[in-house]
Order: sequence, then structure tokens, then C-alpha cells
Amino acid sequence: MLRFSKRWFLRLAGLAIADRFQSGLFARPLPPARQPGHKVIIVTFGGGVRYEETFTDAGLRNIPRLAELQPNAHFFRNCQNSGVLSHYNSTASIVTGNWQRVDDFGFQRPASPTVFEAFRKGAGAKASDAWAICTNKSFPLIGSSGDPGAGANVLLPKQLLLDAVEEVIRKNPRQGVADRENVLRQLNGILAEGYEGVGWTVFQQSRQLDQEVRTTLTRGLAEFIHGPETPTSGDELTFFLTREVMREFAPRLLLVNFWDMDVAHWGSYSLYLQAITKTDRLCGMLWEEVQSNPQYKGKTTLLILPELGRDGDQNTSNGFLNHRSGDPSCRNAWILALGGGIQPGITERPVAHVDVAATAAEILGVKRGAITGRVLSEIL
Amino acid sequence: MPWSAAIDQVIARGLFDRIPATFATYTYDRLREWDLLFPAEQGYFERLLSLLDRSGPAAVARVFSPLAAVEENMGVDRRSWNSNGFNLGHIDFLQRSPHYAEWRRVISAIFAEIDPLLEVELGRNGRPRLVIVTSPSELPAAPDRMWTRIAQRGKRIALNVPESLDVKKYLPTLLCGGECAATNGTSRPPYSMWHISAGGPFPPFHTGEVHLSYEDLTPYRDSLMAAVRNLLKEKQIAGPQQLSAELKNLKVVPPSGVAGTDALLTSFLRSVLLAGNGTLLINNTFAEWAAVQLIRRARPERLVVSFSVRNKLKPFSSLLIYSDQETSSPVETQMDTLGTHVDLEVFYQYIWQECEKYVEYRNNTAYLFVGEGMDEMLVIGPPDFPLLGMNAEPDLAAVHAAAKEWLGT
Repeated sequence: MLRFSKRWFLRLAGLAIADRFQSGLFARPLPPARQPGHKVIIVTFGGGVRYEETFTDAGLRNIPRLAELQPNAHFFRNCQNSGVLSHYNSTASIVTGNWQRVDDFGFQRPASPTVFEAFRKGAGAKASDAWAICTNKSFPLIGSSGDPGAGANVLLPKQLLLDAVEEVIRKNPRQGVADRENVLRQLNGILAEGYEGVGWTVFQQSRQLDQEVRTTLTRGLAEFIHGPETPTSGDELTFFLTREVMREFAPRLLLVNFWDMDVAHWGSYSLYLQAITKTDRLCGMLWEEVQSNPQYKGKTTLLILPELGRDGDQNTSNGFLNHRSGDPSCRNAWILALGGGIQPGITERPVAHVDVAATAAEILGVKRGAITGRVLSEIL
Repeated sequence: MPWSAAIDQVIARGLFDRIPATFATYTYDRLREWDLLFPAEQGYFERLLSLLDRSGPAAVARVFSPLAAVEENMGVDRRSWNSNGFNLGHIDFLQRSPHYAEWRRVISAIFAEIDPLLEVELGRNGRPRLVIVTSPSELPAAPDRMWTRIAQRGKRIALNVPESLDVKKYLPTLLCGGECAATNGTSRPPYSMWHISAGGPFPPFHTGEVHLSYEDLTPYRDSLMAAVRNLLKEKQIAGPQQLSAELKNLKVVPPSGVAGTDALLTSFLRSVLLAGNGTLLINNTFAEWAAVQLIRRARPERLVVSFSVRNKLKPFSSLLIYSDQETSSPVETQMDTLGTHVDLEVFYQYIWQECEKYVEYRNNTAYLFVGEGMDEMLVIGPPDFPLLGMNAEPDLAAVHAAAKEWLGT
């Protein structure tokens, strides 16, 4: 387990991304966007989920919200992950449009440009227009293949919370984490303390943005502490912070990485099923946010897909617990595409995880560049 | 060299130079820890290497040629795959290779060709085996909602259980015929009789039975968790593989009892508890994973797996994988009986399925799936298993007697 310092986390989280790349440096003729200002949200229904627990007759009970949305969505029934079956490589493949074979645990940046970079560069978008909000704590480098200032803001909400809770426990062990007021005070204290170190100082040229980001985080965490839905997991916190980012910055390109269903590694099938249902609920809430937020309603494409499956029950060392066997149960997934202008339907032809970045670039009206995935033309 | 003279001779004749590097290196790596292999594993490697040695170069080349081709595509450099063992670099190299899936496929194909040949010998010397899987009485399910994933493979048998029977006496009667105590029965090979318990300790059924109890191991589990936490604080660990390498050198006081004095058992226990999944945190995961690993490695003749009720996980516990849930969160501990029922339905299948992968178990193993306190159980087994031919409802003592008769203990 990594021990990220707050400052290091913030630096890696990319919250310090300068707007220095939004100048005309990369200005070039662009392919037309679907609509001016059209937005793309990519959601990894994540942590690894098998087809049989989702879009099958028996699995639909675990995903009531997605099942409810499917008739109005376009469903790609055969999405193949042909890459390395780790969370980081799979998700990096989704956002780069190329199969990634880098360090499995996030110690390397993606080896080819991300769609965030293509978008920032191609559309001349500012830093706050591209975000990756990730439950998986090993994703700090997923926002770009090179200069972090040219990619997405990467936010690791759970790491932020963990640091805060650890601080509370360390300073006042007898009171414990249930003392919410104390936790909130600590959280506010941590968020308010010096951001002027490496990375954060880049925001000196945009103090307003600095304040907004800070407000966003504080509010998100405060909702976590005091919210009526009493979130208890990293994915719920990720949802809350995603919603805050959407309301405050309305980014045009957003990766939301859910991950809690990876609890399956602990060997509890019921906890795994609960996590699937929770992720389903959060996807439903995210769609509701898209529908109720005027910045997003009618001009957003939401692409939901598992980054990988899990081992099948047969002929593997321990079935649903793992996801490295390479069997079809690990590789077969689906994509649910929702949003304005998408014709409902089902596509049977094989598509792939790397096609998501190509499709996002096309919708955003930027050149695909190094992306080798193919566009999902059915939803354009 | 730690291994047998027969293996030494095979190696001296240059077998490892004739087979592809990844296969040779992996096999050599396993042999280096010969003393930490169960007898069943040692026997497997002796049969495997003997078969390859006597098969002749052309036959060996034919079996391994697909792997040699994949290794060439992968760019395997034989010089870096040598008798120094299988290291993290090798694992990284394989897993990140674009040909990894193909490599796995041809490895599986090789074993699919070799293992049936090795199994013929084992099949000739097969002995009856017994696997008993017990579930706690707290499960909120009637017998008709139990063992649903595997019920069609066996027969539900009604049991004559007096209503007055104290549920605490249910398992001792079924497993031991009454009070459990070590008996000096027929001698059995070492590591052939096991009882894995997700709950507390259980008196041994038989002299020589190895008993691992999740609750008994609490001090050892706590020590391991503390040691791992310290390790993570002190070092930058780049991922599970690096963590695994560090854990090999972790110094922790061994557990009490036989598991702490027998180096093989200590090694086995460490590997189970440090597997990186929930074995340190979830009692039933410990029992299931230990059982599956035992079946795969030790091939026990008599295996009892006793599941228990799992507690609910506490909020944000995923952040605290190497922390004790009971002390790291003030949230009250609660049992999760429904969740446990759902978990165990899968585990019953996985345990049965793991056994059926191996020739030692196929067609000569009786599986008893027992719900503590229930008047029905599921029996999967050959037609000559005594319980399957009974007309009357057996009582718990009769179940015990049938199991003894089957094993010849």
C-alpha cells in the first residue's frame, strides 16, 4: 500500500494543472464536434465484474438501474478487453485507445497519449475541462501520458479522505472516526492548509480556480460526513465529488472510475454483489445528475463499461475472486451508451475497450491522433 | 540438492536444457523449495520429470514446441531464465507481454496432455476419500435453499435428528460419533487428514489430523497484520508482486502448536494468510482458500471444512486491508448471516469443484454438505458410499459410522 503524502497526492492529483496549454499553441483545424460544447462522461463500472452478474437473465437483478436505462440506451453486447487484465492497464487502455502494457499498479503513465490530452490539445480546452475522478488509489498518473499539465485533473477522493481520517485517528485515537464533527473539522483543516508547495502553486495564476477546487473538495467531503445518504465506500465518495466537479466546473470530458466491486478479492460473493448493486445505483444517480444539470442535459454522452471481468467459476483457481486467468469471463464485457442523440438499440458486432477513446474524441470533435481504437459509429 | 536422487539424475541428464525456458525455470523454482512441498506435490514432480526424462527428445520436443514458439515471439532470453529461480522480473515480463494469453493457453495445453498420463498411475492406487463441509446453525435458510449450486450432483438425505438434541452436540456426533478426541486409528500418511475451521478450535478426530482454526490463529494473524503494516510504512512497495517478495522475508513469530513447529505447515499457513485476498480479514475466506490450496497441494484423504458466520464489514474497510476491523473502527460489530449464506453457496461449489479437478478425488470421494442442526444434508458420492444406499433416515451417529467405514479408519 502506498503512503501518499498530502502534498504529493495533490501534486499527482493534477489539481494544479495550469492553463498554460490552453493558448493557441495547439490551435489547429478541428473536426466538427457533435454539438458545440457536447460532453462525454466515461464511467468504468469498475473493479471487475462478470457478465453473468450483470446483463444476463440472472444478473439483471443486480443492476436494476442500468436495466431500467437500457431500453433508452444503445447497448454494445460484445465488448472485448484484449489487453492486460489489471485495473490500471485496462482503464488506461480505455482512455488512450491503445492496449496498455505498463506497470499494473499505476507507477507509470500510460504509454500513449490519452483522450484527455487529445481533447485538451485538439480543442484548446482549459485544465478544468478534463477530469478523472478515481476510486482506485493507484490511478494518479492516468490523466496523461506525459506532461500532467496537458491532461486531466486526476482526483483520488478516497486517498484524500484516508489521509484526513488517519490524521484524526492519529491525533485523537480515543475519539475514533465516528466523531463526525471532529472529522469534519480535521478535513477542513487539511483542505485549508498550505497548498503553496510543488504543483499547487501553479494555480497562482488562477486563484479563483484554486478556491473553487478547494470549495468543491470541502463541500464534497462535508457531504460525505453529513449527507443524508451516509456514504460508506470509496465509490460513493467518488460519486459525490464527481457531482461537485460537474456542478462547479462542468468539464466536457470526465472519467469516473468506480472500483468497490473489487472487494471480490476478499472472497465474499455477497459483498461483491452488493458492490455491483451499489455501483448500479451510483450510475443511475450520475445519469440523474446529467439529466438535471443544465450544463449536461441533452448534450452529454455517457459511456458505461466494466474495465474487465473476473475469472469464471470453472477451471480457475478461485472463480470470482480474481481476474487474471484470461478466460472469456475476464475479457467479455459490454458498453451501455446513453445520451442525447443516441439511437436506442443493441449492437452485436464485437467492439473493444480501446474504441471508447476513439468515440469520445469523435464526439468531442478532436482528431484521434495516436488512438488506434475504432469509433462506435452506431452512437454517432 | 534438497530433492530426491531420482530428480537429481534427471536434471543431470540435461532435461531442463531441452525444455522451454519459462517452463524449466518455473519447475526448477518449485523444486528448490522441496522441503516445503507436501508429499503429494513431491510425488507429482517426480512423476512429471520421470515421464519427460523417459519420453525421448522427439516426444518432448513435440509437446513443448508450441511453447518454444510463443517464447520466441515473446523474446524470452534463455540467459535470463535460469536456475536462479522465478523472479519478479519474470512475472512482470510474462504478464505484460502481448503474447501472455497465448503463453497461458499453450501452458494449459501442455498440462492437458501430460497430466492424464501422470494420472493413470495415481488412479490405479486410488483410495476412498471424504470431504465434509459444515455450515453454521445461524444461517437463515432452510435445507431446500442450501447447496443450490451443486444439489443436482448429489442426493439430499433426510436425517433423524432428535428435536431435543443440543445443537452444540450436532457436529461432534456427526464427525466423531459423540465426544471428539484424538484416537489411535489406522495409521495414515502425513498431511492426509485435515480440519479447517472458520470459527473456533475443534477437538481432533484422529491422531495426526492437522487442525487450523481461524480463531485459534488470532494472535498469529494479528502479528502478520502488524508486520505487514510496518513494512508498508517503512518501504515504498510498488505493488503486490513486490509486496509478496518482501513478505517472504518477513520475520514473524510462528503460530503456537503444530503449525508453528512444522516448517511445512508454517509455510503453508503463511502462504494462505498472505495470499493478498481476504484470508486475514474474513473467516470463511480463510477456510475456503486454505481448503482449496490444501486440495490442490496436499490432496488430503479426509478433509473437514467448517464454515462460520462472517461479520459485516465496516465502513471504508477497504482502506484498511491489513488492519484489524474490530479495533480500527468503533462501529459495532454485527453478524451478517444472510451475506454468509450467499457467500457459502459459492464456496460449496468451489470446494467440490476443486476436488473434482484431480484424479485422486474423482469417482472415489464422498462429499457431505452439512448444515449444523439441520435434519437434511447433501451427499455427493459414488453409488457405493453407504449413506446413498440406506433406506431409513440415518441419525448422526450412523453418518459418522458410514464415513468411518468408507475411509476404513
